[in-house]
Amino acid sequence: MKQSTSLRAFLGKRSTQWTGILVVLIFAVTLPLYANIYVIGVAWNALFYMLLALGCNVIVGYAGLCDLGYSSKVAIGAYTTAILMKTFGWNFWATLPVSILASAIIACLVGMPTLRLRGDYLAIVTLGFSEIIRLVARNLNVTGSASGISGIKSPVIFGVKFSTPWMQYFIFLILVIIFIFVSLRLKRSRFGRALEYMREDEDAARAMGVNVPRFKLLAFVIGSVMGGLAGSFYAVKMGSFSPSYVTFTESAYILLIVVLGGMGKTPGMLLGATLFIVLQEIFRNVGNSRMLIFGILLVLIMIFRPQGIWPDKRPSFLPSRRERKQLSERTETHGTG
Amino acid sequence: MALVEVDHLTVRFGGLTAINDLSFTTEEGSITALIGPNGAGKTTAFNCLTGFYKPTEGDVRFDGKSLAPLKPHEITALGIIRTFQNVRLFKRMSVMENVMSGPHSITKQSVFGALFHGPAQKKEEAFIRQTALESMEFAGIADLGDSIAQDLPYGLQRRVELARAIAAKPRLMLLDEPAAGLNDAEKEELMALIRRCRDELGITVFLIEHDMDMIMNLAEKIVVISFGSKIAEGTPDEVKNDSVVIEAYLGSEDEPA
Repeated sequence: MKQSTSLRAFLGKRSTQWTGILVVLIFAVTLPLYANIYVIGVAWNALFYMLLALGCNVIVGYAGLCDLGYSSKVAIGAYTTAILMKTFGWNFWATLPVSILASAIIACLVGMPTLRLRGDYLAIVTLGFSEIIRLVARNLNVTGSASGISGIKSPVIFGVKFSTPWMQYFIFLILVIIFIFVSLRLKRSRFGRALEYMREDEDAARAMGVNVPRFKLLAFVIGSVMGGLAGSFYAVKMGSFSPSYVTFTESAYILLIVVLGGMGKTPGMLLGATLFIVLQEIFRNVGNSRMLIFGILLVLIMIFRPQGIWPDKRPSFLPSRRERKQLSERTETHGTG
Repeated sequence: MALVEVDHLTVRFGGLTAINDLSFTTEEGSITALIGPNGAGKTTAFNCLTGFYKPTEGDVRFDGKSLAPLKPHEITALGIIRTFQNVRLFKRMSVMENVMSGPHSITKQSVFGALFHGPAQKKEEAFIRQTALESMEFAGIADLGDSIAQDLPYGLQRRVELARAIAAKPRLMLLDEPAAGLNDAEKEELMALIRRCRDELGITVFLIEHDMDMIMNLAEKIVVISFGSKIAEGTPDEVKNDSVVIEAYLGSEDEPA
């Protein structure tokens, strides 16, 4: 009896939310059954941008750091995987930990001296760093110089080649789900809240004991690792990677999705990436002038809905009556360490 | 031993001496006020206690430990919490989330805790929420948990800021002009709350304030500074009748008008 009422309260409050998630999930999983190759390709592209937006969101949305060079983080992961597979003959999965490590180390090296800078200055540093990555990749032999690395072998997963379109689609879908999970877990934690305190008011956050440089660096590293991982999968999906990917335009697209979707909001990233890709397909025949359309869109968003298209709603941390008891029981043994 | 010792503190900004050889102490469990005319250096002294400024000469000690080499977050970790002159809440977050920032300095789960959500993380998360709830209850804002901070009237925002400070379970609370911008009724309530922080929670309170009513009612010891130097120190009655203090505030009688 007691359980059924609480269950009903639970469903009543959240049922619309869960129905929504379920519908989207069923649609996403069954898509390859009825879509043609073109649609699967477009959907894959949307998934790829979701990954990038979710990673960039940790840096830009959660921590409020202005990053204009996110594509370079993708490149670090992509090159790590490409070089290890092509030059050293590694297995794709074995390259992933290295890709994570490389992304993290480079993010630390760049972040430690520069994250003290505020706003615009940091934007210029990240932009400059992205150019450095591009130019270094262009001029090194190990990265295949200007033409990049091609002929990266497609790994085989459960007997299916990764190059099969629906396989690519599913692998990226799983990645997106993992990234969503990571984003949500980070957000609803002491760590995530500290980032948000910092973004809202850096001095007040500092006064409450937030180690601002450390938390900024952590957010920067996490965002970079997510970008690097997306890059690793991108490299084997494409079978090649070249410095021409690392452009300001590419970084600007990712930032556009984050701002369009609503900084810091996970579902906003998914919606933003989907919108971005769909609009790109719709306006494909107008060629380069679609950039103009995105520009106008961004200006309109900034004027009329600076918080992004996804609705703004704060999670409630107030406990239910039942939970209230549990909370006090659980904390009884907790010291103030 | 005194909880706070300000020991021959001098702070200079370029050629300007904001604080000149200032010394005083605060006992554990007391309410001490620092007052002085505009520009006397109150806020500068305050910022030295919170690590936002560094002393040029002299030292500031908490429980015998020098605060000068510490960063603000390290000072907070010692159990010193501050509020701001013009309320600094996390404006677009809920009241509960604001107050939950209090226990930040006494908890430690970070990225891996957040990702793996193990028992230690769950326990700490429960502790943070429980502490926040208790503080909100204590400050009389228990039913405002889900309100957005910036939507509240100013008087309540002050309360939220205080609740946030209480949630850090501090030993010392530094209040920067807590009565600024409040009406008389709100001021009364706030004074009662500050007194309860000391009486019921045992928090030592140190405040700087302009409002004389508040100071005389609340503080047990008053330190008066003018142009960066201490000119008087004592109980409210002693300070009130001190001729040097009266002169600093009102000007001397034989000064040409």
